[in-house]
Amino acid sequence: MNAIPRTAPAAEARLLPWAPELTGDAAAPAPPPPPSRGGSPLAGLWLPLRLAWRQLRAERARLASAIAGVLFACVLVFMQLGFRSALFDSATALLAAMRADIFLMHPLTTVSFKPEMLPRIRASQAMALPEVQAAVPVYLAQATWRNPESGTRRAVQLVGFDTESGVMDFPGLAPLVETLKRPDTIAFDRRSRPEFGDVTRLLAERGPFEVQVGNRQMEIAGLVEIGPSFGADGNIVMSEVNFRRVVKERLPSQVDLVAIKLRPGADREAAMARLRALLPADVMVMSQPELVAHERNYWETATPIGFIFAFGSLMGLVVGMVIVYQILFSDIASHLREYATLKAIGYSNGFLRRAVLSAALILAVFGFLPGLALSTLLYDVVGKGTFLPLEMDLSRALSVFAMIFTMCGVAGLLAMRKLRDANPADMF
Amino acid sequence: MTTPVALRDVTYAYGTGDLARPVLRDVDLSVAPGEVVLLTGPSGSGKTTLLTLIGALRALQTGSATVLGQELAGATERQRTALRRRIGFIFQQHNLLGFLTARQNVAMALELDPATNERDRLARAGEMLAAVGLAEKCESRPDQLSGGQRQRVAVARALAGQPGLILADEPTAALDKQSGGDVVRLLRDLARRRGVPILMVTHDPRILDIADRIVAMEDGRILPATEAEPASAP
Repeated sequence: MNAIPRTAPAAEARLLPWAPELTGDAAAPAPPPPPSRGGSPLAGLWLPLRLAWRQLRAERARLASAIAGVLFACVLVFMQLGFRSALFDSATALLAAMRADIFLMHPLTTVSFKPEMLPRIRASQAMALPEVQAAVPVYLAQATWRNPESGTRRAVQLVGFDTESGVMDFPGLAPLVETLKRPDTIAFDRRSRPEFGDVTRLLAERGPFEVQVGNRQMEIAGLVEIGPSFGADGNIVMSEVNFRRVVKERLPSQVDLVAIKLRPGADREAAMARLRALLPADVMVMSQPELVAHERNYWETATPIGFIFAFGSLMGLVVGMVIVYQILFSDIASHLREYATLKAIGYSNGFLRRAVLSAALILAVFGFLPGLALSTLLYDVVGKGTFLPLEMDLSRALSVFAMIFTMCGVAGLLAMRKLRDANPADMF
Repeated sequence: MTTPVALRDVTYAYGTGDLARPVLRDVDLSVAPGEVVLLTGPSGSGKTTLLTLIGALRALQTGSATVLGQELAGATERQRTALRRRIGFIFQQHNLLGFLTARQNVAMALELDPATNERDRLARAGEMLAAVGLAEKCESRPDQLSGGQRQRVAVARALAGQPGLILADEPTAALDKQSGGDVVRLLRDLARRRGVPILMVTHDPRILDIADRIVAMEDGRILPATEAEPASAP
């Protein structure tokens, strides 16, 4: 009945009884050529990556929602970190704009808007060093400012020092030096918040005009560029004498900062060391970056600002991780049969794990790139709206990428556990 | 040439202790090179369990089983995975990866060999698809193929890796008479040309004629050949 003989084939025969060579069937296809040795040593990583990509690509809607999840996390982290650094940058804007070689500050001063005063004599003592060209006392105080347009009042930061000395150079100050020698003249920070009135426009329309600072009418002679900070969102620069006209109760002998200019070619580190040795313990000798760092340290440690934004970033990462985990998990769950088949035909668990991890990392890259673009755009828009110095920089982009990469990697590692359910023995 | 499959006194039970339910008792079975063996029997007779044991998909409990020269008693997971690469599996469902084309699916069976390169793999996969009569469907995805065509892709995948043994579990279960018969005959012919033995579990009386030998099982035991023989005679 059957054409095939039901005899056990001879185990030792090289050709089987029904081999085409014996039965006269159509010639068997030539045996396949031996595999050529062209395999890449990276095949163990590349093949699972390619499998993961093909799988992700096959389901566009799922891929899009996964990328949207990563993008969301990415933008959230970028905005949190951006706000954080912008707030710190703006908190220190005043000190960052003060350009001098060395500063003296009272060691108990924690933040510049609540300065501990130091004796003015320290400025004269600093002059004892031959490399010190000039030492200028700086007075800091806050006063009320009356908006020249609406009449509302607002606290403004006053900075009084010898503008002629050329020791501290705010951007835009140099051409105003002569004018600021006159009584009751001030230079206004053009980057102050709009609640102070549109001084830039008024100045262009009317020329120099009078505003009320404290209890005095003072004339705005020109504009400098500093930027709003936490302590005050507007700044005024004036001469020492004019400062005392506004802040009458201030003793001239008590100053808040001393700015020091060194002779050209002098070694700043050495000069700072000598100043420390020379001056009593009621001054702290700092370079400008140290001064800014000291101010920043106050906002980072003495206020919850640092924590708030770190927490916000973490929440963004957690949400992104949950989304990526969900996507990967459901991807594995819906392909369980296929994964089990791959295991049955000899794929190792390691290969499948690498495929899942690859999928996670593909999502990291594909979510990060649009996230970076969108965040850069948002930085621009939000920065203009809030007057915060939001700027994308390389180191932040890299660190956010590292976070997103880690986030997706952890999600992948969690989702991998589902692979255990792919049991090839259940396939039959 | 050694015997591809040699089982001696294989006993297997699900569960442990008092709840242990034996599904295989003292099974002896050998498959000769190039032989086509059909395994039949009622549900629960243990034939699928036997197939998963031979396919190294389950660990052996007692007895001895040598498959393609690998002793399975006490074999490690790594050894079993390596053995599975030398076995061609065909399942009830085609189990093709839905997001890959027919050619890529077949090439997946070849990617296990790190010595191959992509061009060779795709060329081999194309040849295998041509051998199962699907040369023009190489770039179709599984959902663009009929049931019979999908199972033929699965046959091509099982054979692509030049296996030493084909294990098939009711490959015609999801197919109609015509395409089911076509697929198993195709499988038999291709395997025969290569001298590859086939062990196939089936309930399907329509395909018994492809067998060299029919092994009937009941209650975890293999019935003596005299009892099994009438089952094959229509």
